[in-house]
Amino acid sequence: MIKYLIAETFIQLDWMVMVQVILLGFVGGVLSGFIGSGGAFFMTPGMMNLGIPGPIAVASNITHKFGKAMVGAKKHGEMGHVDKKLALFMLFTAALGINAAVWIIGKVFTGSAGESRSDHADLYISLVFVVVLSMVSLSMLRDILHSRSRGDAQPSKKIIDFLAKLRLYPMIYFPVADVTVSLWVILICGLFTGYLAGTIGVGGFVGVPAMIYVFGVPAQVAAGTELYLAMFMGAYGALNYGYQGMVDLRLVVLLFLGSLLGVHLGAYGTKVVREIIIRLVTCIIILFCVLSRIIAIPIYLRRLGIIELDAAIDPPLSLASKGLLYASGIIGAILILYFVFKAFYQRRRMHASITTKAVTRT
Amino acid sequence: MNIICISRGSFGGGKLLAESLAKKLACDCLSREELTEAATRSGIPVGRLETAVSRNRPFNEQMAVEKDCFKAFVTAALCERVAKNSVVYHGRTGHLVLSGIQSILRIRVIMDEESRIALTMQRLGLGREKARRYNHEVDEDRHRWARTLYNVDWADSTHYDLVLNLSRVTAENAAAALVGMAQLPEFQSTPATLRTLDELHRAARYRLALGQDVRTASANVKVQAKMNMVSVTYLPRDRSLAELFPQILHNLGETGTIVCTMASISLLWIQERFQAQDDSTTEVLEIADRWNAAVEVVQLNDESSSEIAVPSTLPATDRTVPAPRVPAHVDGGILDDDGATARPLDPGLRATLDRLIAQDHAGGYTILNCDIKGLMRELDRTTPYGMVIVGEVFSTRGSAVKKRLSNELIGYLVDNLRIPVIEAKELKTKYLFGPTHWFKMLGFAAGSLLLVFLVLGHQEPILRFTIAEGTSHRLLVAAGLFCFAPLFAYLYGNFTQYLLRLFRFE
Repeated sequence: MIKYLIAETFIQLDWMVMVQVILLGFVGGVLSGFIGSGGAFFMTPGMMNLGIPGPIAVASNITHKFGKAMVGAKKHGEMGHVDKKLALFMLFTAALGINAAVWIIGKVFTGSAGESRSDHADLYISLVFVVVLSMVSLSMLRDILHSRSRGDAQPSKKIIDFLAKLRLYPMIYFPVADVTVSLWVILICGLFTGYLAGTIGVGGFVGVPAMIYVFGVPAQVAAGTELYLAMFMGAYGALNYGYQGMVDLRLVVLLFLGSLLGVHLGAYGTKVVREIIIRLVTCIIILFCVLSRIIAIPIYLRRLGIIELDAAIDPPLSLASKGLLYASGIIGAILILYFVFKAFYQRRRMHASITTKAVTRT
Repeated sequence: MNIICISRGSFGGGKLLAESLAKKLACDCLSREELTEAATRSGIPVGRLETAVSRNRPFNEQMAVEKDCFKAFVTAALCERVAKNSVVYHGRTGHLVLSGIQSILRIRVIMDEESRIALTMQRLGLGREKARRYNHEVDEDRHRWARTLYNVDWADSTHYDLVLNLSRVTAENAAAALVGMAQLPEFQSTPATLRTLDELHRAARYRLALGQDVRTASANVKVQAKMNMVSVTYLPRDRSLAELFPQILHNLGETGTIVCTMASISLLWIQERFQAQDDSTTEVLEIADRWNAAVEVVQLNDESSSEIAVPSTLPATDRTVPAPRVPAHVDGGILDDDGATARPLDPGLRATLDRLIAQDHAGGYTILNCDIKGLMRELDRTTPYGMVIVGEVFSTRGSAVKKRLSNELIGYLVDNLRIPVIEAKELKTKYLFGPTHWFKMLGFAAGSLLLVFLVLGHQEPILRFTIAEGTSHRLLVAAGLFCFAPLFAYLYGNFTQYLLRLFRFE
């Protein structure tokens, strides 16, 4: 019985799958280090494409995120990029959001007789993924195009200005981020971030833009604060999913092996690449991921009997979905690594020339 | 010559006080509004900068350059006026514009909230609530302005020599009282003041010229003038303009040495005694080399020490000639009347500076004879230092006192600058790679490998354990995961960090 349960819940790991999960982690890590958040938007569907059930992929990813966030938050904290007050304000509602997400997934995943309903869960996760990340990426793309037209690399401040005019009391001042935000806005954003973190494992990808575009927090502080928050949310998610027996420890370890190396390389990239390029690369990658999920949705709909389709269409659709996802992640990671190594060697060359030609002075 | 800076809020009576005081002292009265209008006329978009600050928007690259130009414009204009006659300046941050000049009388004018609201209601014709909100918002904007441009808390009374509450005293009477204070020796100019003023003026004029020259207008540069040396620090992306900087400065009449240093970031190195060839200098240089950084050196002489190093100049042939600042709180203002006299520079510091210049990492230097709080007053908080390195300080004290004061200094720096502060002796451990790091890296690698083999080598028992039934069992699984994830992330994260440091990916 146990063996049957294990076989049904967890996939068989062979060398090819293990290497692919490590690569997923690496690409996700590079993206997350470069973008400052996320990475899960690539890893979660990537794992699902490997045949890992959606909830197991989400649960393993959030557990992996817990450890990663703890290490990252410590580093950001040393640089003064963590607004603990802001993080704690968002934490309470984010925890509620995660709980709601775990409860909903639990309901969708398990039928009335206790049987597994992974297709329902996959469809639900895919739909949330497509809707939310489409909105995020399209808004980002629009903002980038506007930024270019007005010759300003800064993110749009329209929402901040609008909320500042409303002044929904009580207003709270956050000293590290140096912003004053309405308590109600914080609570709503926290709830939404937590819900998405629990559902598709990409809370940070909504939390960081929310802090930048809605609260007006500087990008570095947003990334640091999000990691601090993600540490608690990850811990809470790991405990919840762990209690429900959904975390595959093997996947957690394999994700770590790739992601922690990638995170450092991606973070190095942020120091050497222009901000607008960072946002553009991010946006394109997410749009490809969304497209990849859209292609996979008919498969779940057919399995659930919602649409009539020949089962023979599953393999090509699955292949196309997988191909797009890998292409987006790999092209994104290659682009980032290209910038990273280019800057790295440029710097070394520059230094070599300086030390040989002596100092510019008159 | 007197320099009096009055920092005022909206409808706080500061303008009246300034005008009255200027009249009584027979000196010029200059307002912030006059300077901003002149800056706008010269092409600096002050309104755009103010809007960005009031809306709490971070500056983009272009605005950061415009901000520097505005600061340079204000500094140059103030210096020019002060050079001609005594000046009473009223605005927000005049005392911060002329930082480093100790003889400024810094006054903060406040008024109780009710009086300010009444004045606002009367002058702007607003209702009570709107007037209250108006004052609050204006104060917030000013607070943010001071924080953005000078990285200080505008309302912090320790930045002022006197805080005047005009709720109970008329501006006229307060001005009468201030006349006596303005004549105290602490607030009189000295040769050192004039020298610092000249250096500030030169640096501001050069920065403004670089900002107004179309060829270098977009360059993000920092200009520092010390005696017969001008240092220009620029970013790697502006390296194609490096040849232009000295040309432009020469055209403005600069005859001294011009040192141009390319750097991505600045490091601040505080120490009491410098030796060019010792380990800490080598390590700082290695870090600067890795990070492409300019190193700004601060020689911090313990004020209680009997061997206070005297700031000095070098022979004209030496490139490292600086113009060190001498804080008045040590010298009592008027005692420092020997600013132009050349005295020998500490040879260790001189050799260290030469080594920094030779390796293109010189970012200027300062000698301070003061305590920790004095250091905080003297530091330029607007320079975005990447890190502060604290070497051996307070060396004449006993070991326990030295340790306590060092820790106190690091605490102050962390609290006030909000950037990483590290002890020089920790540089090697934290940022460089030696045998210890090899040992640690291999240790972390071994720990990570052990856990990987434990998990992948026992897949079935682990999965069986994961899904087994029972509340207590489930709790155990959750607790196990809770401990495992950070432990593995810590071990493997450290391994990857050391690995990348080994390959200089920092």
